[in-house]
Amino acid sequence: MYKVVVPGDFISDEVNRAGEGTYVDEGKVYAMHYGILNDKGEIKVVALSGKYVPTNGDILIGKIVEISFPYWIVDIASPYEARLHNSEFAGTRREKIEFGDMNKYLDLDDLIVAKVLNVDALMRVDLAMKDEFKIGDRGRLIEISHTKVPRVIGRSGSMIKMLKEKCNCFIFIAKNGRIWIKGREADMDLALQVVLMISNEAHTSGLTDRVAHFLDSFKKGR
Amino acid sequence: MKEEKMELIKDGKRLDGRGFEDLRPIKIEVGVLKRADGSCYFELGNNKALAAVYGPREKHPRHLQDAKTAVVTYRYNMAPFSVDDRKRPGPDRRSVEVSKVSRDALDPVIFKEYYPKTAIDVYVELLQSDAGTRTAGINAASVALAAAGIPMRDLVSSVAVGKIDGEVVLDLNAVEDNHGEADMPVAMVARTDTITMLQMDGRFTKDEFERGLKLAKKACHEIYELQRAALIEKYSKSVGEGEE
Amino acid sequence: MGFEVMEDIRKDYVYDLIESGKRVDGRGFRDYREVSVERDIINKAEGSALVKIGDTAVLVGVKLEPGTPFSDAPNKGILMTNAELRPGASPDFELGPPNENSVELARVVDRGIRGSEAIDLEKLCIEEGEKVWMTFIDIHALDNDGNLVDAAALGAIASLLNTRIPNDRYGLTGEDTLSIRDTPVAVTIIKIGENILVDPNLYEENAATSKLTVISNADGTISGIQKSGTDGLKEEEIAEMVEIGIEKAGEIRKKYLGDIET
Repeated sequence: MYKVVVPGDFISDEVNRAGEGTYVDEGKVYAMHYGILNDKGEIKVVALSGKYVPTNGDILIGKIVEISFPYWIVDIASPYEARLHNSEFAGTRREKIEFGDMNKYLDLDDLIVAKVLNVDALMRVDLAMKDEFKIGDRGRLIEISHTKVPRVIGRSGSMIKMLKEKCNCFIFIAKNGRIWIKGREADMDLALQVVLMISNEAHTSGLTDRVAHFLDSFKKGR
Repeated sequence: MKEEKMELIKDGKRLDGRGFEDLRPIKIEVGVLKRADGSCYFELGNNKALAAVYGPREKHPRHLQDAKTAVVTYRYNMAPFSVDDRKRPGPDRRSVEVSKVSRDALDPVIFKEYYPKTAIDVYVELLQSDAGTRTAGINAASVALAAAGIPMRDLVSSVAVGKIDGEVVLDLNAVEDNHGEADMPVAMVARTDTITMLQMDGRFTKDEFERGLKLAKKACHEIYELQRAALIEKYSKSVGEGEE
Repeated sequence: MGFEVMEDIRKDYVYDLIESGKRVDGRGFRDYREVSVERDIINKAEGSALVKIGDTAVLVGVKLEPGTPFSDAPNKGILMTNAELRPGASPDFELGPPNENSVELARVVDRGIRGSEAIDLEKLCIEEGEKVWMTFIDIHALDNDGNLVDAAALGAIASLLNTRIPNDRYGLTGEDTLSIRDTPVAVTIIKIGENILVDPNLYEENAATSKLTVISNADGTISGIQKSGTDGLKEEEIAEMVEIGIEKAGEIRKKYLGDIET
């Protein structure tokens, strides 16, 4: 079973094991978040809620909200905005993107899959587009709390694998909680339902079995 | 305003039947609002406080951003229907002061440096008031901040002590506050016994002040246990829901 | 913004100095700056005082006028305290509605006067339920070099101590002067690092992590406490600060209000 902790809860004297979600005060490790304690190896507290803050290397789904040559300003479901320099627009094209042409490549409200290149001390977030991956009109985009993403993926990807198979959908889960689903209408509906179910019950036990059961009974019913 | 002397203690008990060191009944509910990032409903006797936390989120206007830390704001507001004589809507001088001391009560425990340039906004609405509203507000806000996933060192707990009919007592209600001799709201971090809010109005001898502070400390420890339990229970509830 | 605007370099300088046991102006940690109290300097006001603590200057004026009593206190006069922190007094003050600092300042001074019951409000009753004297204490900051609250509180009580009641102006008869029963004095103490200092100047006030204002009376009882600042305090620190507050208030009372009989 998981152990829930609140900020200020004493966890351990082993300061050298203190990891994410904890802080050290006078030789003791305390919880920094309202969350779930993971005491194996590194001491971590996984927050039950909270905002997504980008770190280098994260793959996320962003939405273009402003064009400010030579950057596109991107909303990444975070208290921080990101920017995509027009030289980081993916693709084999080598020509420079001119001032008036930016919207021909990416316009307002376009969705992209991007990688976080760098976050500096002033919280300026620079992105690079991952492959030529502009999310078109096909498919559905939903947003869940980024804290639930690990659960939707599951241990060694077990949950997402089950979802993809049983829903027969392309499912892409980004680090910032945005999920892109592509498939037939009915299949996407099912996938969406399941993702929301996982998100709502993320920290319960026996979830994987319940999801499998739900998917099976649904398919039987068809 | 202190009025004519009214007997507030009869046969060793207070008018509402409490002993000198008894808290009013407390009820805490976590996550009651959909739109807020964290929320808490807190009842202390007849006080009903509702705290909503939004953030960290972008801070506007830009010139009020802090390049190195989040900026925490706290707005305490009493609903017009929350008191006997309708309170005109809008901030009054008392709300401005209460907001200031309440923000300062919580600020020390928030790891603001984790979210530079952002805003952490705390809105506390008093829906029903019976003295001790600022303490109820701080208790609610503390839980709401934790529920929002804001990184914190500790929870903050708050209670008021006062003096009625010459006796130092815990957690005054409105009648006691209006007719009593002193009122001292306190906020502290139970784990470290660090005081983050302290105000006193009325009259205390130095000895009464020290006894009052000790009494407040003991009560804050009790309140902390209730705040913690409410957060833990909230999680267990979602576990329970999953287990059909 | 406002009060907290300060170059980081000065903060470090103040901090380092204090860590080595010194203050910017050479004072001891428990020493007040030079205080001066000039009473009755505004003849249009019923009572007034100009208080200077070092380079901080605050002018307090008291005005009285008849008004309707509150329904729940028909035989008591009314006390109202307001503070103006206007731009002339500091580059950090802005025009506009009272901000949290000026509201807090006024309310703390008011609390000290009210808690000590220095003013016998019942003596301000003209006609029960109909007419009472309203006492307006207006605090006007003239120059801010830190610790406005102690200057304002001292100015308030000094003004009240010889406030005239303007009976003639309203065709009334009665007492000539306000009846004052106590002399509450505010003392502000700050914490910088692990050090406790009395009467912060502006640099020290901005560098302080915690501030405690203690208002005490002639008999050593406390009639107001206000903690501000974003750092916590331990019980022992508060006890020490309260002790110092009461002691210093006694010194100030003796030196600057000592010639008055209450």
